[in-house]
Amino acid sequence: MVWSWIPQNWGLIWQYTSDNALLGLVPPLIGLAISIPLGVVSVRWGWVYPPLLSLTSAVYAIPSLAVFVVLIDYTGLGNLTVIIALTLFSLCVLLPNVVDGLRGVSQPVRQAATAMGYGEIRRLVQVELPIATPVVIAGLRIAVVSSISLASVAQLIGVGSLGYFFIDGLQRDFPTEIYVGAFAVLALAFVSDMLLVTIGALLTPWRRGQRTLGGVWAISLAGTGR
Amino acid sequence: MITFQSVTKRYPDGTVAVDHLDLEIPASKIVVLVGPSGCGKTTSLRMINRLVEPTSGRILLDGRDVAEVNPSHLRRGIGYVIQQTGLFPHRTIEDNIATVPLLNHWDKRKARERARELMDLVGLDTAAMAKRYPHQLSGGQQQRVGVARALAADPPVLLMDEPFSAVDPIVRASLQDELIRLQGELHKTVVLVTHDVEEAIKVGDLIALYRPGGHLAQVDTPERLLGAPVDDYVRDFVGFDRGIRRLSFFAATALDLAADTVLTSDTSAADAIQAAKQAGQEWVLVVDAERRPIGWAEVGDLESLPASAALGDAPLAPVGHTFRPDTDSLRAALDATILSRTERAVAVDERGQVMGTTSYERLRDAIRAAEEAADRQAVSGSTPQPAGEAG
Repeated sequence: MVWSWIPQNWGLIWQYTSDNALLGLVPPLIGLAISIPLGVVSVRWGWVYPPLLSLTSAVYAIPSLAVFVVLIDYTGLGNLTVIIALTLFSLCVLLPNVVDGLRGVSQPVRQAATAMGYGEIRRLVQVELPIATPVVIAGLRIAVVSSISLASVAQLIGVGSLGYFFIDGLQRDFPTEIYVGAFAVLALAFVSDMLLVTIGALLTPWRRGQRTLGGVWAISLAGTGR
Repeated sequence: MITFQSVTKRYPDGTVAVDHLDLEIPASKIVVLVGPSGCGKTTSLRMINRLVEPTSGRILLDGRDVAEVNPSHLRRGIGYVIQQTGLFPHRTIEDNIATVPLLNHWDKRKARERARELMDLVGLDTAAMAKRYPHQLSGGQQQRVGVARALAADPPVLLMDEPFSAVDPIVRASLQDELIRLQGELHKTVVLVTHDVEEAIKVGDLIALYRPGGHLAQVDTPERLLGAPVDDYVRDFVGFDRGIRRLSFFAATALDLAADTVLTSDTSAADAIQAAKQAGQEWVLVVDAERRPIGWAEVGDLESLPASAALGDAPLAPVGHTFRPDTDSLRAALDATILSRTERAVAVDERGQVMGTTSYERLRDAIRAAEEAADRQAVSGSTPQPAGEAG
């Protein structure tokens, strides 16, 4: 470990960390925007869900590098390719969470809302989605953390990310760089996750006092698995 | 007024939940739909606010076919309370209650003010609970919030689906009392579904008793349902002690009270013995200077006292629980009599002063007279007879 390498390359570390953050955060957000309508459709018309879920799982099973390579033909060597690939991956986590979250709204709550004069759309926006928020946020956390970790692979097709330090460190047989890259990925994942936990807490004031910090950590660590 | 005109609900699998139901629910009354599970009572209720659409027939709300009203608008004019409360877990108590006013485009401050008014009305501590969330309240409190929420926009009609079934018996009894009290103030048209015939008898002005298969067995006042069941099904459903329970509907004012053996504690034992003998009684009731009951003295005990003794020196048997003729029923008077060691119960007025005593013989006469009066009334047709009565 060559500590002096860190301050000397601070600009580079920061650059790749922010590139990686962008690639980690944007795809899950797009994925969420896609998953909400898909989830609503899946809950409303139950038969849509199993094939949709199989499809997203199948996509997730494809190695990320293979997806990048396939997409290069269409979208070129750039951020767009990576963002599309990671968005597709995020659906595998986000869609089931949106569906579970919406299904978790109890029948009496749904019925009471209808009986009080909510139309379907208003009920969705004002009752069902807010109640589903904790489950959706839990999915978003996994999606973000896994997306941050996957984004480093994008370096293999030349898209800037913390993966640069792994490849460069390996080629130059310079472990410090690999350690720094790994640490930066972890730190980025941790900070992003805490950010989401905070947003989640702000969006769900009714759950105050029901959360445990242990749960937060367990999900963070599980999410970095890939 | 809500009118069911030959309403049938048949589900796609062929089950008939409600079969050609005719029922008239008068305005400003509590009408209870009661029956075994699967008899169609809940389906009937849900057809009123169109949560379920009938297969055939019409439901009129104040003369207007509900099928012609936009469901969301219809529902905002009909309060709805369910067993599981259906409170919104993500909203505070006040915002839960303000739901319908907000849907009706009230401004937020006015809606919350209204919510707090309703919290007062249903007996919830506004300061402590307005900002809490449903999961922080007990089951009974949640059910009160449910009722407040249903009443928020002051709908003329209130539908209640097993509203008190999920809470323990003590809370249930207090919620039932609360409903009766609220109804005394608000005069809503309340349709309440329950499987509990006791609840129906307690809160209902009118009871519609269902048979399995979505038919009505009898529609009547609670007192008539107990006193004149139309057939064995109704008799069995109402329960074997219906004779006793019917007494709840007869006022204890009908009792002829005996006052000749009510004596103050300074009466001499000799005078007391004489009074008892004259009245043909073995017990005298001892009262204080304000005529409040102290205890029962037995003639045998009095005779063994020295001649100079007063009633207050005799060993006394406890009075037990008393009843008030002006507010209690014959059932309460009978209960007090059964529980009394002397087979006599003490009637008191609102100040707790003794009005007189009663015995089995006097109760029997009062019960007979009340039953005969009720039967005469039924024959002459002055008891409200709902149009949809089947039998």
